Amino acid sequence: MPLLDIRNLQLEFGTGRDAVRAVDGVSFTIAEGETLCLVGESGCGKSVSALSIARLVPTPPARYVGGEILLNGCDVLKMDQRELRSIRGGVVSYVFQEPSASLNPVFRVGNQIKESLKLHRPQFATDDEVIRLLKLVGIPAPESRIRDYPHQMSGGMQQRIMIAMALASEPKLLVADEPTTALDVTIQAQILELLRDLKARLRMSILLITHNLGIVGDIADRVAVMYAGQIVELSPARALLQRPLHPYTQALMNSVPQLGHELDRLQAIPGNVPNLGQFPRGCRFHPRCPKAQSDCSQKAPELVEVEPGRWVRCPYWK
Amino acid sequence: MKLLEVKNLKVHFPVKHGVFSRVNAWVKAVDDVSLTVAPGETVGLVGESGCGKTTLGRAIIRLLEPTGGSVTFEGEDITTLEGAALRERRRRFQMIFQDPVGSLNPRMTVGQIIGEALDIHKLVADEQAREQRIGKLLRDVGLDPVHAQRYPHEFSGGQRQRIGIARALAVEPKLIVCDEPVSALDVSVQAQIINLLQDLQREHGLAYLFIAHDLAVVEHISHRVVVMYLGKVVESAPSKSIINAPKHPYTQALLSAVPVVDPDSKRQRIVLPGDVPSPINPPGGCPFHPRCPVAEARCKTEVPALREVSAGHFTACHLAK
Repeated sequence: MPLLDIRNLQLEFGTGRDAVRAVDGVSFTIAEGETLCLVGESGCGKSVSALSIARLVPTPPARYVGGEILLNGCDVLKMDQRELRSIRGGVVSYVFQEPSASLNPVFRVGNQIKESLKLHRPQFATDDEVIRLLKLVGIPAPESRIRDYPHQMSGGMQQRIMIAMALASEPKLLVADEPTTALDVTIQAQILELLRDLKARLRMSILLITHNLGIVGDIADRVAVMYAGQIVELSPARALLQRPLHPYTQALMNSVPQLGHELDRLQAIPGNVPNLGQFPRGCRFHPRCPKAQSDCSQKAPELVEVEPGRWVRCPYWK
Repeated sequence: MKLLEVKNLKVHFPVKHGVFSRVNAWVKAVDDVSLTVAPGETVGLVGESGCGKTTLGRAIIRLLEPTGGSVTFEGEDITTLEGAALRERRRRFQMIFQDPVGSLNPRMTVGQIIGEALDIHKLVADEQAREQRIGKLLRDVGLDPVHAQRYPHEFSGGQRQRIGIARALAVEPKLIVCDEPVSALDVSVQAQIINLLQDLQREHGLAYLFIAHDLAVVEHISHRVVVMYLGKVVESAPSKSIINAPKHPYTQALLSAVPVVDPDSKRQRIVLPGDVPSPINPPGGCPFHPRCPVAEARCKTEVPALREVSAGHFTACHLAK
């Protein structure tokens, strides 16, 4: 049984005729110790899907219309508040994009980490355990750093504190939502190195959300590419990067300049990402797709397994 | 002749403290930077946050006052120009900003935004010519002339960046300073804007000073690349040579830190320890020595000068060959 099994998740914002479906039939699994990357552009529903795992999307305005989120075999969507509290942090922890916005500016970082310990492992709520966690995430001189306030640390250090806080409860699944987007490349390399190292040492599952395909090559076992609220391609990372099958994935890879590749011109994807609630009929990518056929605007394609482990939402992928 | 020549430019900001605002330290945001841009050339400026790349870009077009050094544009020293004389020269160099939302006035229509530049420099004779010119500019950047009646909020991020580009082009500049023009955009839209900038360069013979932190984007668009660290230039070379054979250990680490899509890449990743030090109290000697994997004793005391290690390839490192 996989650690996380999301089946046909459907989520709407708003009510009645104004309802817009931000997540439409998303399904994926994460096995123990596996790293899955969720890739997509802004507004494709990747963050909302990830927040749903601990039901962190406020309802209302959101509404779960259908589907199941099985975490360790139990459906998160059917849990009451007490059960939810126990899985938040206990089973799944989050690290967000902007560490300075996630940390409380008026408490010392040591106390903020200890708060997580008090909730989930009260017998370990000590300075020693906090120092051990800070060492684990590679903060130099942790004995003196636990008395620092967040503003005394750089962005990279703050992100390490966030990761230490997420790890304090010993979760089975770490969800990292664009954890390096706000950081410089050399600091991004440090954080990715840390995540890879933690994954190997703690056998933790990781769901990493990103828009950078380079990060996928660095850390992912499997990748799910999302577009306009749906998964369009789900595949082992290596196979996807070497031979993307869905036209959107292909276009995305071709539109990003790569170091050392000499190109006169980038292959831009025409048009814009469709807005929520204004998704085109039929295949949602068809107005921008270079391979679109006449029936793409009529029939919405299904996500189909075309090769072992490789799922594509496009009938013309060949 | 060089279009732009920056010599030993310094921009220092005072750090004030206490009730009397005593100056007790200086942030050396840009410290002794020299660079040149030829007509029609793109020079990429890369570095991490806080390295002074944006400050340098702004000081060059005199949005910030340089503390020392000189900026020469088309053979004329513009470092000390003021008022009307400066405004007149500003026709020749323009800027495109990172945040397309923050840099367009939400209460003006697109036509007013672009037309303002035309009015200030009195570039159009009458209302009809003005309208035609705005329509042409909008078409040049891939928008429709009817968009002139609309307000910035009606556009997507990529389209807003196109409006910013049209505004910069309105006065027919020779040089555009692009400060992170694509980093706020979605990946699929970035390529559209990069292609547009390249097309406009070919059509109008524009030169760009392209400031960005994404090395792959900078390599793609630039003829030459300048790498900055803590307010100083550490390496400057043609883009092919900087990507294939970086000489400075910082550039090497920066390049190796860029995640690559190819899963079979055999690249050795150099993970730098620590963070960029504060520019208020930069390390003595080579500013990079505390994080440098190959630093020697003299790196702590001697400041390395920028020297030419091979044709057109400059680096500021004692150990580079």
